[in-house]
Amino acid sequence: MRINIRFAGAGGQGVILASVLLAKGYGLGENYNIAQTQSYGPEARGGACKAEVVVSDEEIDYMKVDTADVFIALNQVGYDKYADEVSKDGLVLINSTLVETDNPDHYRIPATEIAEEMGKPFVINIVTLGALTRLLPKVHAPAIEAEIQKNFAASIAGPNLDAFEKGYAYMSQLLIERKETQPAMRLVKKSA
Amino acid sequence: MVYNVNLLTRTQLQIQPNNYLKKVRQGTEVPRREDMDKKPDSRSEVVLQGNEACARAAVYAGCRFFAGYPITPSTEIIELLSSEMQKAGGAFIQMEDEIGSACAIIGARWGGSRAMTATSGPGYTLMQEAIGFAAVTETPIVIVNVQRGGPSTGQPTLSSQQDIYQARYGSHGDYGIIVLSPSSVQEMYDFTIKAFDLAEQFRTPVILLADEVVGHMREKITVHTGDRNIKRPKQRFAVSPSVDFFNGANSLVEGQLHDDMGRRIGHLPNKSGEFIEKINRKISDNVGMIADITTYCMEDADAAIVAYGSVARPALNAVKRARGIKDDRILPKFRVVRDLVKRGVKETMKTDYSHLKVGLIKINTVWPFPEDLLRQAAENVHTVIVPEMNVGKYCREVERVLWDKNVVPMPKCGGNIHTPKEILEKILEEEGVDE
Repeated sequence: MRINIRFAGAGGQGVILASVLLAKGYGLGENYNIAQTQSYGPEARGGACKAEVVVSDEEIDYMKVDTADVFIALNQVGYDKYADEVSKDGLVLINSTLVETDNPDHYRIPATEIAEEMGKPFVINIVTLGALTRLLPKVHAPAIEAEIQKNFAASIAGPNLDAFEKGYAYMSQLLIERKETQPAMRLVKKSA
Repeated sequence: MVYNVNLLTRTQLQIQPNNYLKKVRQGTEVPRREDMDKKPDSRSEVVLQGNEACARAAVYAGCRFFAGYPITPSTEIIELLSSEMQKAGGAFIQMEDEIGSACAIIGARWGGSRAMTATSGPGYTLMQEAIGFAAVTETPIVIVNVQRGGPSTGQPTLSSQQDIYQARYGSHGDYGIIVLSPSSVQEMYDFTIKAFDLAEQFRTPVILLADEVVGHMREKITVHTGDRNIKRPKQRFAVSPSVDFFNGANSLVEGQLHDDMGRRIGHLPNKSGEFIEKINRKISDNVGMIADITTYCMEDADAAIVAYGSVARPALNAVKRARGIKDDRILPKFRVVRDLVKRGVKETMKTDYSHLKVGLIKINTVWPFPEDLLRQAAENVHTVIVPEMNVGKYCREVERVLWDKNVVPMPKCGGNIHTPKEILEKILEEEGVDE
């Protein structure tokens, strides 16, 4: 099994942090081999940012992602840039507040809206991560939650865990509406 | 009290660690504080970035002095050590620039601490003068260069392997040096420890030549927890000064060429020649002890990929794809059969690589160049592809050793790492499809 995951967004949205937490969840919580890489510009905020996670049950040789099996877009620029580099039966999750597209197959989470409702606009990456955890195979919410707790100071771990749960619950509801259970299981079956 | 090195014999000057341990065992001496606090060595699994792994390994390897100036993409090493060094009982200084950093660690090593600095391209250029000084004074230091795109300020956030020659020939004059090139986070950890040991053993600066991809990548690795039992290397290649001043004796330290006592001999051509020969030959005569390569699928290979650093990773993937070793991106067999029927053998072979007998030679110690090992490993191949993230530098060295083979450079500039497909296509282009 090898899952190629790509995150794209703007610098400052927490793109890399979301990918690191996901990688740690897979690596430490679920005991898979992982490789997490990123590329970004010299700017501190606002530039294009991309992060990639490779999950495998074998040793990982090539650590980058050519064609993504899972693609997460946090803003329009990132979506436009990488939307074509997704495999045919790949899974696309978009931040529907900031990304406009009419593809009915995409999974949508209004992450920015949810984060702003919470009064904490900086948690959009964690809201997205919550939704993503619901979609992905072979990773369970407690594994990611444990990493969130380890990664943040106690004072901000709470809001982040709330954000994670909100994203997870939103996606669970959406999957019930779409009458799907574990959409990304096909990724595992494909490569088995 | 100042010792006169000319009057005291070697044994009088040496601190005897064995006697100390004997006394502790006999109960006549109280063990030192640092020995009592030592935690037992064990291993655990963590997810770390390459740079963090390097910093953790340095502390484990006994580094107790770090001087540096932050520069992308090596900043995380400095960031982590600014707190870890203090916890380990060492010293951390953020210097005014990289020239100062390199000089400070040389001084720290004379003072008795294992010392390290970390930088990237532009900072590494500034350190060249100090590297030559460390080489001529035979000071064991470790310098980490997490390469970024150059020249000048270049590409702060993107990767390259452009400093491969600067790592070897950067400073003026003739000197030998050891350069290690890690390709994974685990290797970044292991090679840092190895770098400290090699530096002590050969009394020479050792460069850890990583690149942005390895430095910023996160992987699950096994690390040591607890404290290392640091032993002095059994065999040391100290040529001068003859007095082991790292063990407490005072001595002359001299940047001009000097004799065993540290006295200037720069004006004596014969003696100077011997000195230069000595500091070069302690490395070149012991390549067998230093050199390290890893080979994959080379037993029956017709073509070899020679790679170092992060590029070895896509190269390994290319080898696995060609060899049909289980990987999700390999074409299912029925598709190959369908293509064979539909498009014929020739056309199919252009997109299916499974007929290519390819192997990989990964070079871990890029300098001194592992000539004999490479020659041995590539004995039966006829084509050698050298992918690297520069204009094609290291392939000249490969060409020199494998002069009778078809050595093909595969340069890539701009900051992106080669993809496995690019490497496979290059091999296909060279190997061709039989008409």
